[in-house]
Amino acid sequence: MLSYQLKNALNSIRNNPILSGLLICAIGLGVAMSTASLTVYYIYSGDPIPHKSDRLFYVQLDNWELSSSSNPQDETAPPTQITYRDLLGIMESDIPTHQSGMVATYPTVHPSGVDQRPFRAKTRMCYADFFPMFEVPFRYGSGWDRRADQNAEPVIVLDAKTNDKLFGGANSVGRTLRIEDREFSIVGVLDPWRPKPRFYDTFGRNATREPEGIFMPFAFVERLELDNMGSTICFGDFDDEFAAFLQSECSWIQMWVQLDDDRQREAYHGFLNAYAQQQKKLGRFPRPLNNRLVPVMSWLRDQEVVPDEAKGVLLISLLFLVVCSVNLIGILLGKFLARAPQVGVRRALGASRFSIFTQHLLECELLGVCGGLLGLGLSIAVLQFVNQSLDRGGLFALDGMMIGAGVVLSLVAGAVAGIYPAWRICRVAPATYLKLQ
Amino acid sequence: MIKLKNVQKIYRTEHVETHALGGLSLSIAAGEFVSVMGPSGSGKTTLLNITGLLDTFDRGSYLLDGRDVSGLSDRQMSKLRNAMIGFIFQSFNLIPDINVFDNIDVPLRYRGWKAKRRREAIEEALGLVGLTSRIKHLPSQLSGGQQQRVAVARALAGNPALILADEPTGNLDSAMAMEIMDLLERINQLGTTLVMVTHDPELANRAQRQLHLLDGQLIDMDFSDGHKPLFVEEEAISAAAE
Repeated sequence: MLSYQLKNALNSIRNNPILSGLLICAIGLGVAMSTASLTVYYIYSGDPIPHKSDRLFYVQLDNWELSSSSNPQDETAPPTQITYRDLLGIMESDIPTHQSGMVATYPTVHPSGVDQRPFRAKTRMCYADFFPMFEVPFRYGSGWDRRADQNAEPVIVLDAKTNDKLFGGANSVGRTLRIEDREFSIVGVLDPWRPKPRFYDTFGRNATREPEGIFMPFAFVERLELDNMGSTICFGDFDDEFAAFLQSECSWIQMWVQLDDDRQREAYHGFLNAYAQQQKKLGRFPRPLNNRLVPVMSWLRDQEVVPDEAKGVLLISLLFLVVCSVNLIGILLGKFLARAPQVGVRRALGASRFSIFTQHLLECELLGVCGGLLGLGLSIAVLQFVNQSLDRGGLFALDGMMIGAGVVLSLVAGAVAGIYPAWRICRVAPATYLKLQ
Repeated sequence: MIKLKNVQKIYRTEHVETHALGGLSLSIAAGEFVSVMGPSGSGKTTLLNITGLLDTFDRGSYLLDGRDVSGLSDRQMSKLRNAMIGFIFQSFNLIPDINVFDNIDVPLRYRGWKAKRRREAIEEALGLVGLTSRIKHLPSQLSGGQQQRVAVARALAGNPALILADEPTGNLDSAMAMEIMDLLERINQLGTTLVMVTHDPELANRAQRQLHLLDGQLIDMDFSDGHKPLFVEEEAISAAAE
């Protein structure tokens, strides 16, 4: 019976190609807008590392002075980043499974090729644990080891894109690259890697940007006197020299740790508090203890990674889809009621109300699915436009989940548009129309 | 086959109540060929609709093949209608955008028959009405008479016990009307109960029994003195004028 109803529904769609086309376009537009905005929202709000996001913690230490606040919106909150001095202090702990301070810099790269000109490359200064902690995939080689951190060995890891640019995608492990005034040995090349959002550094609306092209041991921040590309907040005075900056109360470094269970977490939190107490004795950390370990998803929420615009656009798009569907109710009602005499015949020949209802609802759902397919095609174009406009590469793209969401939205739109007209047509008294055919 | 007892049907609008059937009782045996006559508005079509389970009634009882139909759900009613009743309408009521085969297929689809059985039944019904060669034609490609023969085939294909025909020759010329009547008679002779509403006394006379309706009531007709009721004469005059 379902196949017969499907056949009838398809016939009805084919018999009114212009009207059917308009209905499909209306649903398609609604689904395109909704799916595209849902995808943007999904990328911003998704769990970037779902299988271990509850074991990765962002570290906040409250070194701030009493007379001001590091965060005007929440005066009780500790600074969102830590100082260089504190980084060195807490990196001494052996409690975390993995730990890494990190910062983004922008050094100059001097390629060896004759036709390649120097360029500035976004570079993440980090520790060896960055790679296993965030499960960064490698195409060639691997990350460096902790010894390289301790000895400030001149090693780097390239991302796939930079490796393509500099070495044509070949295995460049073992080759060298001049950055600033030093030669660095390449120890690893990443596979394409794009956490969505880029949780490890969300500052300055960075959450949707690509990871950096080069990864370098943190020790070279000091050696090369590299400036921080991200935000820096300071209190107190210090000299202009780089060494003074490093010893200042300026917070500019992000710190992540992996703590695999509650015991480890409590131990590390205790360690941070003990460190803060120790610093208090040295005249620092004047505020009450307020050191925090924030899991990934909480951190993303705290940082308001999902922009208000994305929420607003999603809401408007869903409303647009609802408006499209509601507008279709009248059109479908007119279409179905015009077919009432035929329905009267079918009822006389044995079709139940339910059968008439399902046939017409099926027609609406078919229109919805066709609209959905059109909408998914349009949403790909919309997302490409968004990617280009915001310079986000291929970040905003439909995945299986979003395609599924688009299909569900189109089915819901078909149902919203079709339930009332289908119900009305199944309620017509067959006898009324049999004489009118 | 059909037993109606004190069946009453009232159509209500905001201000007006119309008694379409006023306590009508009627019994039609299986295999009978009964014609129903009466002036416009006398309740003929209402009677046919109620008999065909297309309309409900307000009072009384209706036994179809011994089964009380009052209180049946829409699904039960549809199933019974599909299984027991074939309809033939004045304006054929074929579905215009599907071909002859698919039109005849409609009641069989709702009956849930398998494709092979449906095809056999359709081919047999089309053979009976002599339209096998038009199986792929759309209704618009057929003459009025051919369309009505398709409608007859559709009514017949499911082998119903009862065929209800509402002025089946009303839209046909006299030659074609006779052809359809011959067909209906043949069907009746095969054992199918036939109830036919008509305005044409000549066609009505071909039935084994004639029922006359006036203001929603069956009236006793005795034409032995050669007089005919006024409405029959009026209908005959208007039919002649047409």
